Amino acid sequence: MLRYLISRVVTAFVMVLLATLVIFLIANTAPGDPALAQLGDLAASNPEFVKAFRAKWGLDLPLWERYFIFVKGLAHGDFGISIVSQRPVLDDIRDFAPATIELATIAFVLSIAIGIPLGILAAVRRDSWIDHSARFVSLIGVSAPTFWLAFIMLAVFYGMLEIAPGPGRVDPIAFLPPKVTGMLLIDCILAGDWATLHDAAAHLVLPATVLAAATLGLITRTTRAAMLESLSQDYVRVARAKGLVELRVVLGHALPNALIPVVTLGGLAYANLLTGAVMTETVFSWPGLGRYTFRSAVAVDFPAIMAITFIVAVVYIAINFLVDMSYALLDPRAVKR
Amino acid sequence: MSKQYRTIGRRDFLTGVGALGLTGLVTFPGLAHAQGRRNALLIGLDIGDSITFDTARLAQYSSPMTLKAVYDTLVTMAPGDYINLKPNLATAWEYRADGKAVRFKLRQGVKFASGNPVTAEDVKWSIERVINLKDQPSQYVAHVERVDIVSPDTVDVVLKDPTQPILTILAAPSFSILDSKLLTMHGATAGADAKDADKATVWLNGNSGGSGPYSLTAWERNQQIQLARNGNYWGDKAGYERVVIRHMSESAAQLLALKRGDIDIAFNLIPEQIATLKGDPQIEIVGTPSLDFIYMAVSENADANPALKKKQNRHAIGFAIDYDGIINSLIGGSAVRPASFLPVGVNGSTVETTKQIGFKQDLDRAKKLLAEAGNPEGFAFELTYSNNAIAGVSYQNLAQKLQADLGRVGIKVNLNPIDQVNLRTLFNQGKLQSVLTFWNPPAVENQLWASATVNRVAKRVHWTPPDDMRKLVDDASAERNLAKAATMWRKYQEGMVDAANLFVLIQPIFQVAVRKSVTGFKPTAAGWMAELGGAKPV
Repeated sequence: MLRYLISRVVTAFVMVLLATLVIFLIANTAPGDPALAQLGDLAASNPEFVKAFRAKWGLDLPLWERYFIFVKGLAHGDFGISIVSQRPVLDDIRDFAPATIELATIAFVLSIAIGIPLGILAAVRRDSWIDHSARFVSLIGVSAPTFWLAFIMLAVFYGMLEIAPGPGRVDPIAFLPPKVTGMLLIDCILAGDWATLHDAAAHLVLPATVLAAATLGLITRTTRAAMLESLSQDYVRVARAKGLVELRVVLGHALPNALIPVVTLGGLAYANLLTGAVMTETVFSWPGLGRYTFRSAVAVDFPAIMAITFIVAVVYIAINFLVDMSYALLDPRAVKR
Repeated sequence: MSKQYRTIGRRDFLTGVGALGLTGLVTFPGLAHAQGRRNALLIGLDIGDSITFDTARLAQYSSPMTLKAVYDTLVTMAPGDYINLKPNLATAWEYRADGKAVRFKLRQGVKFASGNPVTAEDVKWSIERVINLKDQPSQYVAHVERVDIVSPDTVDVVLKDPTQPILTILAAPSFSILDSKLLTMHGATAGADAKDADKATVWLNGNSGGSGPYSLTAWERNQQIQLARNGNYWGDKAGYERVVIRHMSESAAQLLALKRGDIDIAFNLIPEQIATLKGDPQIEIVGTPSLDFIYMAVSENADANPALKKKQNRHAIGFAIDYDGIINSLIGGSAVRPASFLPVGVNGSTVETTKQIGFKQDLDRAKKLLAEAGNPEGFAFELTYSNNAIAGVSYQNLAQKLQADLGRVGIKVNLNPIDQVNLRTLFNQGKLQSVLTFWNPPAVENQLWASATVNRVAKRVHWTPPDDMRKLVDDASAERNLAKAATMWRKYQEGMVDAANLFVLIQPIFQVAVRKSVTGFKPTAAGWMAELGGAKPV
């Protein structure tokens, strides 16, 4: 087990190092001049202003020196200063990440909580109406474009039926609780502000559902397929032959063996939710990391792009690491291999 | 072994079921904040570009509205009149007898929100801070030598170059008068070393030290801006206790929120959405022509395209474009068009001027010009644009319309969509044959448009302006008699139309949808979108 753990940690570390190099090269060799993305027309035509701008952001240094500064900064936990917001990228991320983490986590919980039971039911009652509707739901979830789904949900539940609150994290008139974690649900609980908690939770429902839709579809389908396979295995027949009740056969014998692909997928799906919420955040005016990333890319904001890409890489590597660890728990054979 | 597996499975399952139950409990609440709404003005606006609320560092589009609500300038402009300045913290002003300075009489008895009186020192300090901070706004006062305090109610803004305009510049929010006592406490300085020594920007990003109708109380990036009524305001008391400017990046979301009454004012609706609101009994559309415009620049660079070097060919382009069709089909008629690079509404540019001296569609004349140029079959050129949209008009649609128009006289337009930053890079280097892009001014001053066209923009299109054009721009900028200046600006536009490098296509009418529960709200094109101070509940 220890050897397995160490080998995974070393792999993860090498991956992170490689990621820094790739991220740096991609961000710094992209076309487009950040000075022109930021300066007004008059300033951009003034050589002194442009020169001062380049010097301020280190754009006049050779490429290798900039890479060295970047990695040195990372080692010290310094992600540099965002060219667009003109403050430390870490401050920006601290401001925007909680909104995304909150949204992605709720969406993830939703898709697991509905997707796994639905997948199990669909497999157990194969070809019944439950199976067909589960497949239909997952098909819609996987294939509906997020942008479209977000607008439809907003137009129907907010615009027409008037049962859901509108875009944003809370009602415009609400006062926000003191910022502790930046995650409103937690901050409201800490402040004992139940009215705003209710408001914030209600504002989460639509975007979380939209964000969860695609993941939910994938998880349902994978769970169903894996369950079908494990239900046809010999040990299930043996379990049934010994006269175990069906519930125990399904949940105790078939499910754990079917969970490995679901856990792999779930891990990746969570990473995907954390990093891929741009469309949902745009439609729901959600002040999260997705919007920030998009804007940084459009504005050629190297430090911000590099920091975000680095964090995304680390999130994926970390989640893969955790998934690897969970294999060890779910399937002891993984350690021996 | 099977026991261990079962535990995992059941735990997962229970977590799932528990979470499902929890989400089920979170029901949608109704509008829980009904009472608070009447005392607050709620605005939906894309504030994604806001990066600072420090006036001396301002270079963005959405933040000036907030700054204008919390700060006062010496002089200002009333919505709709961008020619005659109005008093604000200065009650009167005139050029000093020697012509080297403008003398301002200051309004007496005015207090900042903090309770500190507004003094001549504050005026001097505020303008000198902009200059010494050396951020982008400093460029527009590069010709200011210093500010002299003549007496407690009089200041002189002394100019290095008195031919350069100053009064219109000082109306822009960057030149707001700040509470120097308060700001100094928060790390601000106006000294020569301000560029490195001033530390007040962070404080100014969440607070304000001004004398306007509101004060800034909070700014949460990409989320909202909060203002509170300034009880010490010298003018009419602000209509609301609070103003919340809510970040809404999607126009469709703004439309829904406006219809539901979650916001009172929606700023970023596109023409199609505005059209759906006409006839809504609860919503009013208020509009004012902006001073921004979309234009096509055509390069004379013979190496890039020899056909465009010939003036007749560029004139043929000017006569082939269906200007009215563009405005009617692409922006639902809600736009005007200036003759050249001075927007309709500034001194010397009106809709009438455009009719008299601007290009209008005349296909026969275009064909004749092509024949004169030796290109009777027409020619081809490349049109570069970004994949963005401005005021609801996508450059892509505009480019396709131009392609169709010019095709009718045999001019083939090859479309080249690229990203905005690349476009700016290549255009500024003078490498593009033609470009569709956007111009919006940092302050309402004719010189800022005109001097660009004979200097840096001229370089981008490889045009060498004749000396008398440059002189005309200088003379018109220095002319202090508005009527005489208007005549000169008209002559400048005639010259620009003849040069035919810049074709202004769409100057949008800025349309804002306002719920009828709000009165006195006035949009403006002067650079700060709207005067929030006058808005009141009905």
